This record gives sequence, C-alpha cells and structure tokens, in this order.
Amino acid sequence: MAETVQQENKRCIYFFLYDRSKVQEEGDLTRAGICYFYPEDTPMDQQELLCGQLAGVSRCVSELSSAPVRLLRLRKTKYAVHMRDNFLWALSCVADIPDVSVCAFLDQLIDLFCFYNGPVRQSYQLHSQEELAVCLARYLSHLQGGSTELHHIFSCLRTIDSTNIDPLLLLKAALILQACQRCPLVLAGCILYRGRVVSTQMPPELTVKVMVHETETFSQDNRLRMNGVTSGASPTSSTVTTNVFLTPSELHLLRYPPVDNRSSDTPQPLTRPRKSRLLSRTLSDTLISDQDPSEFPHLSYQTLPSSPRSSLSDESCFSPSPSLFSTPLRTSLKSQSEKDTPPESQEHSLPNGTLPNRGTGGSLGGSSSPVAKNEVNYQEGGRLGSESNISSVLAEKDKNADGNSENRQVNSLSNGVPSEQDEFSLRLNDRLAKLELTDDSAGSGDDRQERVEEHLAKESKEARREGVTERSECMSVRSECVSVRSECETSLESMFLYQHRVRGLVLALLVEPSFNTHPTAKDEVYHSSLASLNGLEAHLRTTSPGAPGAQGPYTFAHYDCIQNTLTTNVCGRSAGPQDRPFVKATALLHSHFSYTDTLQEAIIRNASCAVYGTRTAAQETYFLQQGTSSRNSGIPNGQDSAFSLPSKARHRLLKHGVNLL
Amino acid sequence: MKCLLVATESAEVLFYWTDPEFEHNVQEQYGASQEEEGRPPAFEDSINTLFAPIIISCSTMADRLGDSYTSFTTENNHVYVLNQFDECLYIAVNGDGEENEEDLKRKIYVMKKLIDIMFGMVTLSSSLLRKELRPQDTEQRNRVWKKLQRLLETYSRLREQDQSFLVEAVERLIHPTLCEQCIEFLERRLVQQINSSVERAGEEVLHAFILVHTKLLAFYSSRNASTLIPSDLLALIIMVQDHYPSSFDLETTPEELESTSAPDIFFTPEHSPSDQDSGRLSSDSPPVFQFVDPDVQMAEDSLQTLEVPAPDPMTPSRVFLESTLKEGFCPMMPHSMYCLPLWPSITLVLLTKIPNSQVAMHVYGLLDAFVKLEKRLSEGLEGAAASRGQPPIQELRNKVDKFIRLLATLDFQTSHLQSVWSEFKNKAFTRSGPGITRALVPSCRSMKAQLCAVYRQCFSAECMGSHQRLAPTLQERALSMVQEKLMDWKDFLLVKSKRNITMVSYLEEFPGLVHFIYTDRTAGQMIAPSLNVTDRSASELGKGPLAHFIKNKVWSFVATTRRYLQKGYTTVTLRDGDYYFCYFLWFENETGYKLEVTDIPNLPDDLAPIGMLAWDYYRKLLRFYSKNHQNEVVKCYELLTMHLGVIPTEYILQHCSQLARKLWEPSRIPLL
Repeated sequence: MAETVQQENKRCIYFFLYDRSKVQEEGDLTRAGICYFYPEDTPMDQQELLCGQLAGVSRCVSELSSAPVRLLRLRKTKYAVHMRDNFLWALSCVADIPDVSVCAFLDQLIDLFCFYNGPVRQSYQLHSQEELAVCLARYLSHLQGGSTELHHIFSCLRTIDSTNIDPLLLLKAALILQACQRCPLVLAGCILYRGRVVSTQMPPELTVKVMVHETETFSQDNRLRMNGVTSGASPTSSTVTTNVFLTPSELHLLRYPPVDNRSSDTPQPLTRPRKSRLLSRTLSDTLISDQDPSEFPHLSYQTLPSSPRSSLSDESCFSPSPSLFSTPLRTSLKSQSEKDTPPESQEHSLPNGTLPNRGTGGSLGGSSSPVAKNEVNYQEGGRLGSESNISSVLAEKDKNADGNSENRQVNSLSNGVPSEQDEFSLRLNDRLAKLELTDDSAGSGDDRQERVEEHLAKESKEARREGVTERSECMSVRSECVSVRSECETSLESMFLYQHRVRGLVLALLVEPSFNTHPTAKDEVYHSSLASLNGLEAHLRTTSPGAPGAQGPYTFAHYDCIQNTLTTNVCGRSAGPQDRPFVKATALLHSHFSYTDTLQEAIIRNASCAVYGTRTAAQETYFLQQGTSSRNSGIPNGQDSAFSLPSKARHRLLKHGVNLL
Repeated sequence: MKCLLVATESAEVLFYWTDPEFEHNVQEQYGASQEEEGRPPAFEDSINTLFAPIIISCSTMADRLGDSYTSFTTENNHVYVLNQFDECLYIAVNGDGEENEEDLKRKIYVMKKLIDIMFGMVTLSSSLLRKELRPQDTEQRNRVWKKLQRLLETYSRLREQDQSFLVEAVERLIHPTLCEQCIEFLERRLVQQINSSVERAGEEVLHAFILVHTKLLAFYSSRNASTLIPSDLLALIIMVQDHYPSSFDLETTPEELESTSAPDIFFTPEHSPSDQDSGRLSSDSPPVFQFVDPDVQMAEDSLQTLEVPAPDPMTPSRVFLESTLKEGFCPMMPHSMYCLPLWPSITLVLLTKIPNSQVAMHVYGLLDAFVKLEKRLSEGLEGAAASRGQPPIQELRNKVDKFIRLLATLDFQTSHLQSVWSEFKNKAFTRSGPGITRALVPSCRSMKAQLCAVYRQCFSAECMGSHQRLAPTLQERALSMVQEKLMDWKDFLLVKSKRNITMVSYLEEFPGLVHFIYTDRTAGQMIAPSLNVTDRSASELGKGPLAHFIKNKVWSFVATTRRYLQKGYTTVTLRDGDYYFCYFLWFENETGYKLEVTDIPNLPDDLAPIGMLAWDYYRKLLRFYSKNHQNEVVKCYELLTMHLGVIPTEYILQHCSQLARKLWEPSRIPLL
C-alpha cells in the first residue's frame, strides 16, 4: 500500500479494467487479463494481486447471490464494481466518499468509454490496449480534475458561474444551439467555455460525455489517434468530427424529445418531477431575479403549453436544399430585424395563431422539434404581447441593443422552452419588462387567463387528435433508460460529435452520421454559427471572473437533480478548513437522501456546526449558518439556533435564486 | 436468506448458522452440479466450498495489502459483511433485504460477544477456541453449534421485537414500590440466606435479579461484587430468553408463529406452578425431544434435525463477565448463572462467584504482561528496553513462579505450563539462551497458549464437572421463597411487562407525540412506551399495518441516529413522510446540570457498531467526555421522539425538552 499516496484532489485511488475471459486456465497469468490499471506506475505484482483477488472474490460472491457485485468495501477503501460479460471494472475511493458517489463515478467512466469507443469487447478487438489506455487515462483525469469535493459528491456537471455573467449571453448561447438545430441532421448541442457548460440541450449524462472531448481538444494533442476522427480540414481546422456511440434510449430522447404536454391533461401538482430531457440548461439555471416570482401576475405563462412535437419523420422530410436556412422562420426573423419596423406592429402582423404550425414544420424539412416549438411559441408570444406588452418591450430592447436581432429571438424563444424554464423565462421577461418598461399596460389577469384556457382546450384537442401519448412514452423511455444502462454496451448506435472551437469556447453538436457526408450541412452549420460564437467568446472572455459568488455568513449548496448542476458558495478546488464541516455533513445527508425516498428535510448538528438539508424530487439544498454560538448543550431546546436554519435558509437563499418555499 | 459463518483463516468452518432459505439456495446450487453422483454433499461441505475462496482471498489481502474486506453488496442487494477477530473470520450474509450492512455487522459483533461470554479467555487462543467451537466429537459439536445457533436466533428475534434490544439498554418495569420491595427481599432474605448456607458448595451469590420477559423488575448486587456492566447484563438476558423463550409466542397469531422458525423450543412455555412447588423442576416439563437414530444423523452430519436434550435447569451455565474488583480488573471473570423459572416468562437469575475464580484474575494479569512483552519484542526492543514502562521482567518471572505454586496448591494439572515456562526461562534468563530478544517471541506465544489452557482447565464448563453447583435443595428453596413473595403480583407483572408505560398517559400533555425512547446511557437503561404490534394486543397505536409502520419507522430512525452519531452529530431532526423525528444526545452531571456540548469523535466506518451490547460505545464516549470533567460524575442521555409532521417545529422542540425533564425522574430509581 506504500504507493497509494493520496493526492488531495484525486478521488480515485485505483481503477482497473480486467478481462476474465483471458485468464481461465490454471497457467494463465493474471496480467494477461489486465486491460488497464490506474495509476499506471503501480508495480505489476500489486496490479496482479488486486485484479486477481477482487476478480476472484467478485465472481465467488456473484455466484453465491446470482447477481453481479456492485460495491466491495475494504477497511481503508471501497471499490465500485461493475461486472459485465467477463469484464470487471473496479474503481476505488477513500472510505468517506458516499457509496452512491463512488458508484456514480464508475458508471460515468464506463459510459464515457462506451460513448467514445463503442462496446467494450469490440473496442478491444479493434484497438490496441495502449490506445485505449490513453483514452481511459484521459477520462479518469477528466472526471477527477478541477472540481471541488462537493462536485464529486454529487457527480454533477461543471457549469460556468452564472452569477457573474450577463444572462443575455446565456440566452445567446441557447440561441446559437437552437439555430444549429435548424439543420435537421443536428440532434442536440451544447456550448462549453473553458471546460464548463454555458448552455446545453442534452441530458446531463450526455453533456458530461461530450465535455471530455472538449478537454481533449483543448490540449490539442493525440486527438487524431482516436478512431473515426476526421479532423475537419474543411471548413477550418478548428472543427473536429468524432465518432461516438449512443445508447438507443439516449438517441430516442434526442430524436423524439419528450414534450411536456401537462397542460393538455388534467392539472398536475407542480411538485411532480418532470424530467423532460431536452432542456436548454442555461435558461432555468440562471436565476438572476431576486424577486419573488409570485409577485408578478404573469402566471399564465407557466401553463402555456408547448406544442406537441412534430410527428414528421426527420429523415424522410429532409431534402437537401441549397441553403438549409432559407426557411420561412429565418426569413421572417431576418426581415423583422432588417426592416427595423416597429416590432409591435410586426408582432401583430403575425396571424394570431393562424400561421400554420404544421406548415412551418414541414417547410423546415421536419427539423428537430425545438425549432417548431419555438415557432409556435413565437406566435403565442406575439399574441400575448398585445396584452402584456412584453413583446413590445423586447422589440424595443431589440432596437436599442445594438440592433442585435438575436436578442429578440432569444426573448421570444424563451417563451418556447419546456415548462421547466417557464418560471425562469417568466422572471426574465419580467425583469426585462421592469428594465425597459415604465408603464405596464398589461391587461387584466382574467382576460389573459381566459385566452390561455381557450388555447389550452385547442391544444389538448390537437394533441389527442394526433394520438400522441407522450407522457407514457416519456415514462417508458425513462424506465427503459434505467434498464438499458446495463445493456448499453450491446446495442450502441454510432453517431458523430461535431465540435467547433473558438479559443476557449466550444460548440459541440451531436449529429446524425450523414452529417459528415452531406455536401453542405457542415458548412452551413459552421458559417451560421461562426459569427455568433466569436461574439459570445469575446463577451465571455471579457467577463471578469468577479468575486466568487455572493459570500455571506453562511454556506450553501443547491443541487439540481434533473439538470445535474450545483450552485454553491463554497469556492476553490479543495474546500478550505472552514468548509470541511459543511462538506462532510452534505456528503452524509446526500447519501441519506439517496436511499430514503420519504425523507424531506433534516437538521444535523454537532458542537461546532449545524447543517440543514432539504430536498424535493427535483433538487437538494444544504445550508449552514456560520458563526452560531455553541452555548447550548445538546439538550432539546427550542432556542437552539440550529432549528431556525430552515427559515434562515429560505430567506438567505432567495437571493441566490434558490426558492425553498 | 440469511447466514452467519465463523471460519479460520485456512477456511475451516468453526460455526455456521443459516436460515432454511439460504440452505435451500445452497443445496440448489450444489444439487445441480452433483446430481450424477447421487447423494448431495453434506451441507457443511457445501458451505465450506462456497465460502472458501472468499475466506482465502480475505487472508491474502490482509497479508499482502494490510487491508481486508469488510463488505460486499451485489446488484440484487445481497449484503455480505466480513469481520476478522484475531484468527477467526466472521461472515454474515443477508439476501432478503431484512438486514442492512450495519445490522449484519452488529450481528457479527453480538455473536462474538456471546462466544466471549460462553468461553471466556479461551477465545484469546485461537487453537483452543477452535477446539471449543468445533469439538472433534460430532455429538458434542452439534450441542455447541445448536446452542450458539439458538442464541443467535434469540438475539435476532429480540432485536426485531424488543425496543430494549433495539437501543441496547435494559428496560425496567416502572413500579417503584414493588421494585424497592423486591430489591430489599433479594438482599435481606434471598442472597443472605444462600450465602450463609452450607449447601452452596463454595459459591457465593454476587448478583440476583428478576426478569419479566426481557424487562428487569429488580436487581441486587452484593457489596463486594463488581458492577455488572450493561453489555454483560444484556447478553445474559439473551441467554435467559434462550433458556426460557418468553411467551411472546402465546400472543402471536399462528402465521407469525410459523414465521419465527423456532422449531427447537425445548420447554413448553406453560409451566405449572403447582408442579414446581411439589417437586423437581426438571421433571415437570419434559423437553420436546425427538429421538432419531444418531448414526443416521452422523452420516449426514447435519444439525438440522438433531435435537439436543435440554440441560437440567438446576445446572448452572458458565458465563464470563467483566469484573473490576479491588484486586484488579478481569474482562472475563468466570461466574455461574442459575436461571430459575418462577412462572412462565418470570425468571429469577442468580450469578455466583465460583471457587478459585481468583485464578482468572492472575491468568489475565499474566496474559496481559506476555502480550505486551511480545509486542515490544516484535517491535525490535530488547533487554531492559522491552520492559520499559512495564513492571520489570524479573517481576513477571516471580509472578509466574508464584502462579504455578498457587495452581499446585489448588490441585490443578500444571506440567505443561511448567515445561513451557522452564523453556522460556532457559531462553530468557540463562547465558546460553538468546536473552530478552526477538527470538523470545515464539516462547511468549506458547506461554500465552498455556495460560489460556490453564484457564480453560479451571473454568470451562465441561472441565468443571457437573457437581460444582449450589445444592438443588438450596435452589428450590430460593425459588419457592421468591415465588411466595411474588405470588400475588404474578399476573400483574405479566400484564405490566406488556404495558410498562403507555403512550396514552402522555398524549394529553404532548399532543401529536407518537412515540419516544429515553435512554440513560450511563446506567444502560431505557424507557419507552410499549410498542405492541401483535394482533391480539392492540396498543394505542392501533392494530396491524399502522402499528407495524410506526414500529418500522422507529427501528429505522434508531439506525439513522447511530449513523450520524458515529460521524459526530449529537442532534438529528428529520421530516420523513408524515412524521417528524428528533434525536438528542447530551451530558449532565449528577445533579442534572446540563454540561456543555463538545465535539465528539468522528469514527471510521469499520469500527464496531454503536450500541452497548457487543461493544460499549457509550462507555468510550463517557470516558472521552470525562477527560474535560475530571471532578464530576458525567452522565449521558439520549432522547428520541416521533411526532406527527403537522405539529409546528417549535412545539415539537418544546415537547422534547419537557419530556426530557419529565423522564429524568423515573430513571433515578436506584438499580441497587
């Protein structure tokens, strides 16, 4: 054990991939089965010892219990284990990292491997161990690198610190992504800046995978060694297309994103976990408003339905047109900004819900649904604009803001995102309204409500006619997702990952295989996004890092289980000594939450600190008030400051956009 | 699907226990592979084969990595927990989701505690322990295994059903007057009479107590006795429950009876008091003994159907208990335990000091010295340095010589010890020998083994012979004295033990309170409203599912609080479903003044489970806390409450503090 010198930020002590099929006879050497061992400088006899013993024990136990081993604990370490068709994956961490986190770490690693290399057995047939060792090492270092212990506990995505960034930039990023999707071969994308997510349309598990390649290209070496890498000589060398492998369920979610048609059903409680996957992450993540959304009477937005997704098949309708972007939508938007007409009248000029939704979708060549969705909501925004004046405000802002036509698009689009974002977009709109509008001539709430209901009725009828039973579909996909995860290696589908780098900024798109061979698609996407990317990069670069979060006499962490993101004011790579108690308590509470479904909130205290944790189906929040005196003695005492934590947390965290009400 | 296995490092099975489901599972796996050969292999062999790779890998890892397995979890949530005690590896398995890792670890530690209590310091020598746990003689082995299996089942049942075994503290019957009367009776009449009798065969009653089910009615310790620590008392209650399974079963429905899977009840619970008055105890209720041809049994080497005849209740059990006397400390002092059934579920227990028990104290002192010497020598310290900070080696020499002389006067066989000792002396003290160096380590080991052998010879139950006991007539007299005393109370006590305190009496004062458990960790006692979940005795929680639900919640909350306590958190509140749970641990001085809270240690996961039965965490905690409170007696309390979630938190906290104040009083009833 001498060589297990633990480095501060390494959460992995050992990791190995062992192929049992190569060690079956008496005489077979254990080393023959070792596909990869981390740290690579571990002496061979030690490697053999660990692989041999753990493989033997795991096999023995799994035979006794007729199920694979999941976790193997030793006194000082613990191993997350994954056994599938003769391969044994094992990853060890120090004992005080929660079990759930260790297992999540290993799963991520395996997913990454399969994402870039396809099925394990096949990839070891196609590539040499050395090649794949390089990959595994990279994935490992990517997964452990550069994030805080809190990130490790939650295994969450690293996002840019949205508190210091103009939210409009985030919207801009979301818009770029949506613009790219106008090419029907583009499934979904994300934008990363210096290893952090700016905006993503993919489910968190996919975003994580895409990010690895970004770090890889960032270092710019040995990328060509990988399979399927066709370094884009055209259009410029800053784009790369890589072969990647998606599970059927992932692909299904990308191709047929579940649409939230809640409003067409009977009302559901708002707390119900809605896990529609195709999210533009930035939109809801950027919580800038420090006002209670309930102050504003725009709740009608929240029930605005998204249109049912276009049921037209992508492939059949895709006709390679000279310019993929010469669609009605684009022209209309362009014309709006070019003509620079008073936007209000422009909005009104849009037929009030009569613009044929289906027609637009069709003319777009059945482009992936968000565009169609946006289209519809664009109309809705227009329709409502006459009442709430928001659209006019947006248009006005549009006019003022350097003629940046995208702003407007952004704002109208913000109405169109699935309802997870509705609250945010609502708030954003409100904020914009506040900024720009002095006289709020919004119509009465009743009036609006009426219209919305009318719309809902129409919408639901439509949905029923289409016979789209998306909810059940969505559910089944999710359960499928769980069950498929184990067999993911068997039926992976080959896709491509297109990446376009502009200095620290990367646009990553998951594209259909034909994207690569299509004569114009790549160029179209490249040229259409280039300018915006440059602009975005420049803005992000000039954004000062700023003070790390709003510091207060408290520490908090807010974990969004659905988007897999973390908001916290614990800064720095390794939490300082003052944050240790908080991190420790958070780890304990998180693992408690993870195995007790009914647990809603908890307060734990020792002599020096008290930590409050609360969770809903969608989020977990942890809060510690600093500098509380320890004068009470541990006896039950209502005066104990620990018990005022829930109200303090509710109060304090509002300004971080965390609403615990 | 449950299993518990004790094995040596070389994968020899020293003991196993399985439930029928596990056995079935194993036989299925083996039945398939060995069908051609006809007869399936003996169950013990299958177990051995199945676990051998795990056991061997475990010792390989320990040897080569200095780290060993503690648990495995599979994807279908089977849990395996492993723990090494000296050279014995304990493995506990659960595959039905009823026990988690922590429960299994606790089970292993309890098993170890029960083995310690039964075999004493013999457990310190692995070769001797192997002989004790796995005697060559099959019949004898069956007897030992059966006994341990039953103890384990009894423990599991109590942990499932009894709150006092949930929190691992003794529950007392709350009836101060009767309690006081009984203590006085035990002291003035019973113990005095026995200890002054000539029929006591050199034994002396040190402790006497009366149990109603698992609850303590009265406890008396004689003046020169060491305190009986809570851990030992709890283990003794398990043993008593094992002798006389409490008539829980009488109240359970037939289905429940079936599910308890205890076919080996040796006594029918219904003793008739009149029979007991009239004659010998052993004859009044013949054991349920199915005679089967022993040869057939041996051939199958199966324990499952072999019934062992019940021991005569007049024959004491040998138990090894911790003692702190003015002569010294001994963690495993031999005692005889007499369990005299007063009526079904009401038992008088006498713990006596046996003749020559001072030998145990000497053995322990010498063992301790040799262990320390060996440790120092293997660290490379030599000569005088090896005994630095310890009594000089010369002193050890004198002590051993004196000890051998003492044994000789007591007519014990000492030739082995003497030969090993003279070998040791030759090596250590003569010019020709290597002196006090590392070369002496093997001699230290054999001295330790010899000391354990002497201890075994003096105290192990078999070696003592069956004639060493309080005379049966004396026992009978004691029994009838207590029966007479409690005759009028008998029925009351049986009811009281089921309704010790009830939630009803707290509801008015604490609306919304569903349940609580208050524990005095210094005394190792707890108070809690009774939680009866059997169908026939409806509690105020109602019947059936709701009562079960609440019971399960309480059980899991106790597990939760332990996890947080292990990590240093002394206050935990949870909102879980429709309920609000609170847990507090605090310290007081003797007058009830609340002492300030300090940070308590954050323990690693691989330590013993938190509790009092197998490993007394709270004793360690008190010792830790007392370091800063040298001048006062520190007491430690725990309160656990369950409220309806709709009650505002401020009221819940107010309740908790009122409850703590209110309960402080009853816990003051003196134990002595």
